[in-house]
Amino acid sequence: MAKPKALVRKDTCLACGGCISVCPQDAILMVTSKAVVYRDRCNSCSICVKTCPVGAIIWEET
Amino acid sequence: MKYDVVVVGSGPAGSVTARFAAEAGAKVLMIERRAEVGVPVLCGEGISQKVDAYNILEGTRWIASKMDGARIFSPNGTMFKLAAEYAGSETGYVLYRDIFDQELARGAVQKGARIMLNTNAVDLLKKDGHIKGVKAQRFDETFDIEADIVVGADGVESRIGKWAGIQTTLKPYDLETCVQYTLTNIDWPSPYCDFFLGQKIAPGGYVWIFPKGKDVANVGIGILSSQSESGMALRLLDAFIAARPELRKGSPLRLIAGADPVAEPVESVRDNLLLVGDAARQVDPITGGGLMTSIEGGKIAGEVIGIAVKEQRFDAQFLSAYEARWKEAFGKKLHRNYVVKEVMLDMEDKTLDMLADSLKDYKFEEFSTLSIIKALVTKHPSLLVKLTPLMKLARA
Repeated sequence: MAKPKALVRKDTCLACGGCISVCPQDAILMVTSKAVVYRDRCNSCSICVKTCPVGAIIWEET
Repeated sequence: MKYDVVVVGSGPAGSVTARFAAEAGAKVLMIERRAEVGVPVLCGEGISQKVDAYNILEGTRWIASKMDGARIFSPNGTMFKLAAEYAGSETGYVLYRDIFDQELARGAVQKGARIMLNTNAVDLLKKDGHIKGVKAQRFDETFDIEADIVVGADGVESRIGKWAGIQTTLKPYDLETCVQYTLTNIDWPSPYCDFFLGQKIAPGGYVWIFPKGKDVANVGIGILSSQSESGMALRLLDAFIAARPELRKGSPLRLIAGADPVAEPVESVRDNLLLVGDAARQVDPITGGGLMTSIEGGKIAGEVIGIAVKEQRFDAQFLSAYEARWKEAFGKKLHRNYVVKEVMLDMEDKTLDMLADSLKDYKFEEFSTLSIIKALVTKHPSLLVKLTPLMKLARA
């Protein structure tokens, strides 16, 4: 089974950009003031999930 | 559309760069991906009164309150004060950061810069391997903005630097992840900016209370990303507030998040390209404060760009005058404070309590490295070992 990928909950994201600045895969971008994970680049490292100050990044089963 | 300079990002670093470049005669466009300069605010909103010396802000509308200094609370609650002249590096004024950013942007426009909102840089524009501007997107339209110099003032998550081959990805131990309420109806009549340390309060960071006048204050937390778990910053902040009746009675007017690079400075120059502000990691690694350094860096960048445009020299060698000047002006201090950050992160709560106990009666008017170390070790000789790395630094 494939590893779960990071997913940003748009209703919770406050657009601080922290996840983008620490993503070693450059897999996150800000799109209209919300962070968005590009799943094909995500390597499931969990850094963004742990970094998010408001818990807006969750795991999505693939 | 051809400009001398395109500045990506309209925060303080971008606006101040644009201002001084335009003042020196450069044709400047500043692009901003958001719909409003300065909104949303992503900051604790504290700044040194040193900002007054730059003469880049009119009036006082951007000031929420003027502070007398800082109070630091160690994990067991021991407090010591820093008078404004020593705490001044990051406290002095508490800002309305949205108005502050708009005033700085207005100043840039007054000097001749233009601003384009809702405009996202999506890539560098290159011809024959040389940077010739940026590719931009505005709503559904994609277009080229030609410029001799691209300034990456695009903040903690800077992409401009990455596109130019500068390694800007932060390690989790070099990022403070932050969240802040602006609370009203609280009972915190302090003329000081307050900082609370402790592994249980804010691992690898601190909680701050910055009063904004009346019954309003910013109450925020920054924790080190490497010590964070999902949503931990907000949970710890809520716990801090819940434990204090004078804060618990308040209601939030605003909830914002922030990300603060507490890293070593990066390379800030390439052919046809500069990085300023958070993008260049121009942030004090101890306090996480970056407003003054962004303004100082932006001024130097703008001045160097002005000369570059006059001479029509856009190569990295010529532009490196910017890097040399900012590293001399404050980069060395940031490096030194990075080492101090690492020493402080190794300190247990017990050590921080001893430090605070030694400093609580210390008169900071006589501030000097030697006298402060003497004050520390006289009361708690065991601190000598903990402070050895810092003493090496003081001698270097």
